Amino acid sequence: MAEDLVLDTAIRDWVLIPLSVVMVLIGVLRYFVSKLMRSSSQLPDPKIVKEGQVIIRARNLRAAANFIPAKSFRARKVYYSNEENGLLFVPKGQAQNAQAQMFSDPNMAMDMMKKNLSMIIPQTLTFAWVNFFFSGFVAAKIPFPLTQRFRSMLQNGIDLSTVDVSYVSSRSWYFLNLFGLRGLFSLILGEENATDDTQRMMQMSGFGMDPSKSLSAEKDGLDIVQHEWALPKFEQRAEAVLRKLVS
Amino acid sequence: MAGRVDSDKVKEKASDNLNDLPTFHAENMQNNAKVMYYSRTFMSIIGGVVAGILGLTGLMGFVFYFLIMGITSVGLAAKAGFSIHSYFDSWNKILLDGFFGGLMSFVLFWTFAYDIVHIF
Repeated sequence: MAEDLVLDTAIRDWVLIPLSVVMVLIGVLRYFVSKLMRSSSQLPDPKIVKEGQVIIRARNLRAAANFIPAKSFRARKVYYSNEENGLLFVPKGQAQNAQAQMFSDPNMAMDMMKKNLSMIIPQTLTFAWVNFFFSGFVAAKIPFPLTQRFRSMLQNGIDLSTVDVSYVSSRSWYFLNLFGLRGLFSLILGEENATDDTQRMMQMSGFGMDPSKSLSAEKDGLDIVQHEWALPKFEQRAEAVLRKLVS
Repeated sequence: MAGRVDSDKVKEKASDNLNDLPTFHAENMQNNAKVMYYSRTFMSIIGGVVAGILGLTGLMGFVFYFLIMGITSVGLAAKAGFSIHSYFDSWNKILLDGFFGGLMSFVLFWTFAYDIVHIF
């Protein structure tokens, strides 16, 4: 086999460029569709919103603990993690309830399913389209050499075993596009929200258990904080600055 | 050489005026990190196209990628006026953060440009 295959220009015109363009357009379409679908049903449960705000307040307290005197910090800490009526203290029975309620809530389940589907369906359809139309020929040459073990993965439609592994089929061009266009999407779509599926999966799995576990996590975090008074000589410093300003 | 991104390089002062306390404003830190991410992504795409047009193959291409990332780091440091500590946590953050994140985009555009120019 010759070392340098000469490939038809028609392949470039009708395979590489259309496939990339289609994937970019599908990504943009998916972004807009998810934005439209998200704004339709958004009535958050007031209890959940309240819990979320409590968590934010506790987190702010933890972050800025060193800027308030020790006594006030301790007072606030007790307010949050007090055994009887502290805001972060949730007895075990109630915790289970929140989880079960979230999962059986039909709106929430529908939302999650819709988001998952809007991620998976375009990918599956595009992959099937690529396989149907663009299989059985060499599509591109990747500029760096790979070992023989990648041959079965990258050269799927090509049945000649002596062709250099750098010459790949269009399926691998599809996968290359899938990973490489993520950066492009983050540039043209603002924040890369609808197109990074791994991040999405992690958010999905963490969402159902969020409220009760994060409350106890915040409580533990607050208990751990060591208060170190960061502004000990503040009055002297303020005096020095004022002096400099006045004189 | 590859062009520079000057459009959205708005970096905000992350640390406050008290000279003894290294405190950082979270929102500004996040904005700085976002600017860095965009810069690196953009440079890796441009670098990929340049590498393809130049006809670099194999190891040379990856060396070129690291060169581009290094230039991006130097550029970001210069934009921050080399006083890193008032904008970022540490030197490591501005030099090494997101170093490999642009690799996939680089390879995609490298393959694309190389094929269009040299093979077809």
